[in-house]
Amino acid sequence: MAALEHPAAEQTPSGASSLRPGPEGVEQNIFTTSLDAMVSWGRSNSLWPFPFGTACCAIEFMALAASRYDIARFGAEFVRFSPRHSDMMIVAGTITYKQAPILRRIWEQMIEPRYVISVGACACSGGFYDCYCTVPGIDEIIPVDVYIAGCPPRPEAYLEAIMQLQAKIMDESYVKARAQRAHERIHIG
Amino acid sequence: MKPSAATPYHQAAEPATAEARAAFEKAAFAALAERFGATLDPLDQWGLTAVVDRSRIREVLQFLRDDPSFRMDTLLDSCGVDYLEYPGHDLPRFAVVYILKSMVAVSHRLRLKVWVEEDDAVVPSVHDLYASANWQERETWDQYGIVFEGHPNLKRLLNHADFEGHPLRKDYPAQRRQWLLANDPMIDQLEARLRVLGYEILESPAPTSPSLEETSFGRKK
Ligand code: SF4
Repeated sequence: MAALEHPAAEQTPSGASSLRPGPEGVEQNIFTTSLDAMVSWGRSNSLWPFPFGTACCAIEFMALAASRYDIARFGAEFVRFSPRHSDMMIVAGTITYKQAPILRRIWEQMIEPRYVISVGACACSGGFYDCYCTVPGIDEIIPVDVYIAGCPPRPEAYLEAIMQLQAKIMDESYVKARAQRAHERIHIG
Repeated sequence: MKPSAATPYHQAAEPATAEARAAFEKAAFAALAERFGATLDPLDQWGLTAVVDRSRIREVLQFLRDDPSFRMDTLLDSCGVDYLEYPGHDLPRFAVVYILKSMVAVSHRLRLKVWVEEDDAVVPSVHDLYASANWQERETWDQYGIVFEGHPNLKRLLNHADFEGHPLRKDYPAQRRQWLLANDPMIDQLEARLRVLGYEILESPAPTSPSLEETSFGRKK
């Protein structure tokens, strides 16, 4: 392997790594993993949120993003207001029928892989607005990955949802999805 | 109305005590009854609601706004009421209510009501007397289906542009939902506003109508 000819290999005093095979400098700089684990690790720790805040639940998102709860600890602090830049949509608030096409369109504009967190009673089920104007749950129009209960949920619940989403992303297989896409392209096109 | 030099806004003429309010209501009703044939609304238990004829509402509002002894410079709200199935009600089905307040004479406040028949639900618009009436009348049209004659842009305000029916009418089932697909175009209003602010519109975006596949969502009809 080319990596074994790394200049660091020569500078290492011999004998120090007698318990392990190979030159020590290389060993400490190279680790092996699967591509899936690598990609999922990157994705789950750099979620860029798109805050789709329409009502009171969005106020809790502000608390979440500020220093006390600080989503930066989860790599998700880079709030983007363009769907092209973000991969985690946070739907926080009541979605009316007038808002529904807008929500759907913004979700369609987001790059894949995209994830949706549905925050609070309103976004999950319509909440107490059992009436002509409120969508009874955003999962009627877009797929949802994590639901958060509460009216409004506390910022800790948001953090729990982000951690659950991270766990879900770690479970995904980039390689399989890619193979599936290639497969579809060959058979359809 | 601009504050007069004699009483600027920050120097309220008299405090809004209960006595001052009662005295104002008495005087106001007497003047409205004499000039415009107003009657008292018996349904109002909390203050003064003067019922006037639909054809005179503009005159009444202009009088209340400009008369130096009233100075009702703020139209806080105007809204519709549906009296369908209201117990013991034999008057027309709808009413439009105007809620007025004076920012100069703080004890001055009153409501006006006009009755509107269901099969002739038309009321003259007052958007040129009170700018706030513009959106309030759009909302009343949207929710109750009452037409405001002379309104410059009587479009739905709260509900989706393609919504069918008027949801605050008592015979609209409260839980009847409508899936509506198209985005609501607002460019015309935006451009009108920009022109008012002195901008020149060089190019307008082409109107987009999303295809059905693009917006085909909603499991329930
Ligand atoms: S769930 Fe409660 S707090 Fe959240 S948007 Fe609805 S009403 Fe507001």
